[in-house]
Amino acid sequence: MCDSCGCDLTTNHHSHKTTAQVIDVHQSLLAANDAIAAGNKAHFEALGIVAINMISSPGSGKTTLLEKTIERLQGQIKIGVIEGDIETDRDAQRIRAKGVPVVQMTTGGACHLDAAQIHKGLHLLEQEPGGDQLDLLFIENVGNLVCPATFDLGEHQRVVLVSVPEGPDKPAKYPKAFISSQLFVITKTDLLPYFDFPVAEATADALHLNPRLQIMALSAVSGEGFEAWLDYLRDITKNQQG
Amino acid sequence: MHEMSLVQALFTQLASLAADHDKHRVLTVTVAIGPLSGVVVDSFQFGFDILAAEHSLTKEAKLIIINPPATFQCLQCGHNQIAAVRPDSCPQCHETLLIAEGGDAIILNQVEME
Repeated sequence: MCDSCGCDLTTNHHSHKTTAQVIDVHQSLLAANDAIAAGNKAHFEALGIVAINMISSPGSGKTTLLEKTIERLQGQIKIGVIEGDIETDRDAQRIRAKGVPVVQMTTGGACHLDAAQIHKGLHLLEQEPGGDQLDLLFIENVGNLVCPATFDLGEHQRVVLVSVPEGPDKPAKYPKAFISSQLFVITKTDLLPYFDFPVAEATADALHLNPRLQIMALSAVSGEGFEAWLDYLRDITKNQQG
Repeated sequence: MHEMSLVQALFTQLASLAADHDKHRVLTVTVAIGPLSGVVVDSFQFGFDILAAEHSLTKEAKLIIINPPATFQCLQCGHNQIAAVRPDSCPQCHETLLIAEGGDAIILNQVEME
């Protein structure tokens, strides 16, 4: 500890002019984001919505998974979607074609969604037909396995996805997304015969990082493993409403 | 490059601290970046240098980054080990499933201003 000012720093790095003052802050740089995230969560809960933040690399099949999920849960669970992308509303168009309320947030270059964008997105979603009566909100984050993991959006569940063509080393290489998620979904399992993707290796690496992680493998194309995913969604929405 | 968003949040906090304490020059900024925070320290420093040069408040500011360790608790026997890098296993019972506690924070610890 510095004897002159009592600060943490041990090296002779700073001056002690009479006007200088050391201020202890001890506040997270994410404090502003986290405060808005807490507001989002309270907003979700007041509306009876369960929110899921979906994080993966580009092209892992998030939007296709959502399309199939909406088809399969039609008439059972009222779904809304907030789409995050750097540019274009292509994903929102795909979801809108399935007949559920959706808003597209374009980040204009930013590599992740933050809590303020979700706050804005939720208000925009409420203006969409049916957008004020949802059970389940999917937030499809910007395709990126790194940056979105740092930003709490106020979600109840964080789901990280890796597709079979990406390879089994993603949990080991991108630990934060797996440490901070509750569920890890391996997608595109219909391609397992064509790629070297030892499911056991990906699963073991993910559990090594986060022993509490729930893991499932599915294909939105063949329907393999899909029932477990739908049961998971039915469970979390039932718990919230109950 | 989400480090830039975090640096922007840091500069918002610095401006507000300077206004609150009636200070005009930031001398040193100490930030703690945990090993599991997902932040690349070099990218954070790079973003800091760029933004610091843009404002008279921070033109001469020096960034000091400290790396606090994380605690890894064994799922089997509950033994805690403190480490900067995830250990392969528990030293007591050799269980490989360890739960990380802490180490993911990005904290503005102290600011020296005049």
